[in-house]
Amino acid sequence: MKKKIFIIVGDNLGLSRDQIDYEDLEIIKFPVLVDGKEYRESDEYSANWLVSKFEKENIVAKSSTLPQNDVVEAVERNYRNYDLIIHVVMSSGLSSASWKVAENVRKQYENVIPIINVDSRQALIGVGNVLLGIIDFIKKSDDLSIEEIEKLCQQVVENTYSYYIFPDLNYLYKGGRIGRAQSLMGSLLHIIPIIGIMGDDPEGIVSSLGKGRTFKQVNNQVVELIKAKMQEKSASKIRRAIPVSGYGEKNKDVANELIEKIKALPCDDLVIGKPGLVDAVYCGPGAYGVSILL
Amino acid sequence: MATEIDVNEINERIENIHRYLNKHKEYLNSLNVFPVPDGDTGLNMVLTLQGAMANMKNFENQSMLPGEYLKNFAEQMLLNSRGCSGVILSLFMQGFAEVVKNSDFSKQNVYRAIENGYRNAYEGTENPREGTMLTLMRALKEKYAELMKEEEDPIVIISKTIPYLKEVLNQTPEMLPVLKQAGVIDSGGAGFVVFIQGINRELQHNGFGTNGLSVPTLLKIGKATRKHIKMRLSKFKNTPFAHLISNIDFSRIQNSRLQEILQNVRKITTNLSVNNHVNSKKTLQKRIINELEEINNLWNPDIKQKYCTEFVLESDKIASKEQLREMISAFGDSLIIIQAGNKFKVHIHTNKPDDIFDRVQPYGELVFTKVDDMKKQHRNFISDDVIDYRRDKSIFCIVSGKGFAEILQKLGADDILCYGKNKPSVDQLAKGLDNLQAKNIIAAADDGDILMALKYAVSLCKSNVYIVESDNPIALIGMMMGISKDYDIMTMFEEAMKNINTIPFCGIARANREVLADNEMTVRKNDYFAVYKKKIVLSNPNMEELAVEAIRQLANGCGLVTLYKGLPSRKENGLVDRLKEQFPDTDFEEYYGGQYNYNYYITFE
Repeated sequence: MKKKIFIIVGDNLGLSRDQIDYEDLEIIKFPVLVDGKEYRESDEYSANWLVSKFEKENIVAKSSTLPQNDVVEAVERNYRNYDLIIHVVMSSGLSSASWKVAENVRKQYENVIPIINVDSRQALIGVGNVLLGIIDFIKKSDDLSIEEIEKLCQQVVENTYSYYIFPDLNYLYKGGRIGRAQSLMGSLLHIIPIIGIMGDDPEGIVSSLGKGRTFKQVNNQVVELIKAKMQEKSASKIRRAIPVSGYGEKNKDVANELIEKIKALPCDDLVIGKPGLVDAVYCGPGAYGVSILL
Repeated sequence: MATEIDVNEINERIENIHRYLNKHKEYLNSLNVFPVPDGDTGLNMVLTLQGAMANMKNFENQSMLPGEYLKNFAEQMLLNSRGCSGVILSLFMQGFAEVVKNSDFSKQNVYRAIENGYRNAYEGTENPREGTMLTLMRALKEKYAELMKEEEDPIVIISKTIPYLKEVLNQTPEMLPVLKQAGVIDSGGAGFVVFIQGINRELQHNGFGTNGLSVPTLLKIGKATRKHIKMRLSKFKNTPFAHLISNIDFSRIQNSRLQEILQNVRKITTNLSVNNHVNSKKTLQKRIINELEEINNLWNPDIKQKYCTEFVLESDKIASKEQLREMISAFGDSLIIIQAGNKFKVHIHTNKPDDIFDRVQPYGELVFTKVDDMKKQHRNFISDDVIDYRRDKSIFCIVSGKGFAEILQKLGADDILCYGKNKPSVDQLAKGLDNLQAKNIIAAADDGDILMALKYAVSLCKSNVYIVESDNPIALIGMMMGISKDYDIMTMFEEAMKNINTIPFCGIARANREVLADNEMTVRKNDYFAVYKKKIVLSNPNMEELAVEAIRQLANGCGLVTLYKGLPSRKENGLVDRLKEQFPDTDFEEYYGGQYNYNYYITFE
């Protein structure tokens, strides 16, 4: 018999609720602290709102871990109606605290309902891509054991790759998520960094993938990196691509240029991502990128 | 039932063992004579642990069963293993972890684990020899079995095996003649004992031979002894050297054979315990000379396979390590292959690393490659100014202008030789390369005339150097934009070569005499001219007009034009602003390059 599966995910996934065709889902909002005051994503407090504050005021923005109580409440509200809960968590390499929260909840409910915590090894649209990949196989498959589901989740994680162009890495640095991309900071020459989170990297941290001096160069490099990854993984097409932009007005034209280039690649499904409030804390103005699932 | 352990806590303990091993690194390096005296046993064992530790950071803040941790750790050791010693130690750990993965650390199960570790290491080693780390592993197994009868606690048992392991270690020269001839105990075996001791004692330093004289010093003493002892004995006895030998502190000579020889030299000079008969003294003298020659030859062997080559191949097309062995064993010796699922970790000494890579590449993906020049390592090992490698790979740039030096450094070059107006000497270049203390170096210069000197410097330096044949500073910027230190050294080099000609540019300079260009254009003395793709393409008495014309002709709709100002134009200001007015649709940036010959380099991107 097909299992009834409920999914939990944080709202740092680069997708809005209406883009996710799965009913049994709860998106928990990350708290965002701006100059010490807590905000959560809403029509008023959006990525654009925060980016505009970054551009006009000298503010300090941080995000906080997904509150354990919020996750517990989501489980509490739903566990009676389901056979299994899957929690898609942002990369433990980027936030070990988020992973710990997820694990605490899993242990708290271990005699009540099985919970699979999926370390997405991703952030932003990467988490969204992992989520949609998991929903794909849940919908397609009938009777899967928990072990099979875990294995399939892991396959989705390891086949998801995200590429970002962050014109100003200071936002990522201040958020403590710079990882291996720190080598791209401090250049005298004005450079545009390409960073990435690769699902086949077990560390799940931000890597430096390249750099360019113009957006045209970095867009071309991103496309070449994607082609190289497809070749490396023997993938003839992209199962799903999620590009994202719109952290303020900056770089919209070059982000669109990247989308056009992605469209020219063999791809089954292209979903245009939505920038979120919590994402903007790390992206800063003018960031854009694309996540692919092979 | 075993309980979960905090990964952070066990990581810290492993870190302590690593530190303990690291303390003994130089001592272990100094013993390294088998299979090749390349002086890196200690380093390889330390790097193997380091690599595994780095990957275990993924599990930070988690809890897991100790057996599960060890299994993960052993797997990481294998994938990150370096050199013969690193690979064999990893094999032992793999076999050990396989048995205790159920977290059963009873004395019987630990015995089974040690036994399996030994068997795994032995079977995984091509042509296993006695007197090596394998012997020590077997000694651990045997002594443990013996002590099991009287002790319950496996930790106590392991602790009690250590004196015996040291005894066996001291016997290794009797088992492996090459060790005896060189006057050392086995370096891998010593490393294994240090490793076990580190596990047992963590940071309690046991003074494992760390105040001994270095190999180069010992070889120098041997050489000097050989030179002096050849003279007439009556004359020799009165030389300052003979006086030195009679006062030498033998505890610092940790080479047993040399110690014995020097003691015989002392006997000759002091007439102690030697039959005073001239003939017997002469016989002893002859023996000393022969033995010193033997030692010297042994530490300076003819290295037949030059490159210590390692790679990890991920392949679904190769069914077993035997199949892979068949494919590549003819390429060299000291072959070790470890298989973990579809991943094959290979270690081989060969003269043709590229041929091996070409051979295996069609069968899968090479996820890691490493090639060490053992001849260079050997030369470093036995030289006076031995280099303790501190980095695996480095980038070294040689540039004239201070501005470019700073730009390249901030783009990730590890060291810059900024030579100013006069091109660097071979000595300066060799020192620059050695100062990096890196095993592998990518070196690139901003002038083609430096290439010859650089090649000669490379032959003198102690690292594996990959020369990028660049001839201008813009090529170096292209190189630094295109490479990442996350790559392995071969990929870094390939990417560097691929990227040196990616940025189109022209140089603007002033003629100090009349010049006839290829296109029959005459450049008058003191006029400015633009060089593009190594040809003079434009000239003008006014530099600004020339720059405008060059951009008009060469920019080809590019979005960004960058000016690198040279020393001859350091006092000029405002050119960029005026160019922006002329080309409102183009972005301009200006940096100080500090080059001597060109007023400006202009790049078009």
